[in-house]
Amino acid sequence: MQTEVLENQIRGLNIVLGALQSATGEICKSCIGLEGAKTKVGKMVMKISMDLDAASICCEKTKADYQARINSLSKAAEALGVAEECECQKTAGNCKLGEACFINAEIDLMKLVK
Amino acid sequence: MAKARCGRILGEDIYIEAGDTATLYFINQLRAIQVMLAALKALDQDICHDGCSLPSTVNKVIKRLDKLRNDLEASDVASEKKESLLSKIDSFLADANRLPQDTSQTCRKSAGECVIGAGCFATGALNLIGITEPKAPKI
Repeated sequence: MQTEVLENQIRGLNIVLGALQSATGEICKSCIGLEGAKTKVGKMVMKISMDLDAASICCEKTKADYQARINSLSKAAEALGVAEECECQKTAGNCKLGEACFINAEIDLMKLVK
Repeated sequence: MAKARCGRILGEDIYIEAGDTATLYFINQLRAIQVMLAALKALDQDICHDGCSLPSTVNKVIKRLDKLRNDLEASDVASEKKESLLSKIDSFLADANRLPQDTSQTCRKSAGECVIGAGCFATGALNLIGITEPKAPKI
């Protein structure tokens, strides 16, 4: 995997995690949307880590720098505070946002990365 | 009339009476801005800090907040709720004003640094505000 792809994915995940962190202070904290997003982002971070392991990056320092950034993302994903019991907050009658969902829109920011 | 919880803004649970779409509009706009500002703060730690899209987006958010403030003041939202929401707008304005606003810097794509493709994180974050309903009430 090229470093450019790694770089872009790390940048994207950093922004997504920033937005998701904010959602943990919202009613989304008790929402299955955030619960699912936490799992999804965790898997994305894990995949990037595996891609880094498989990448042919000659410079050990560069590889270590990437790993440190990925570790930081992993910690941020694990730290996302989600309630023990979650249900869709629209179904619960709390979220009156309309058809859209903040969490899905935040995760979709990763689609900007080509 | 019974009130139902419809969001949590800046740590405060927000309640609304059923059918009060005018108040719901302002609440959902602020819910979106809360999330968007978090994304913009993350972008400020990125190379976007030295570009022009982040400041441009920040300026749009500030304008949006100014407009929301004016619209809210002119609306018939209950006075207690209005004061509460106005204080949140002021808090978000203070947050937004701490982010870069100088649009004279070079786009990081043009500078050859941002290679994510055709998309733009700052624009993507701004779009978060467009997904909310209901639409703006006639003031």
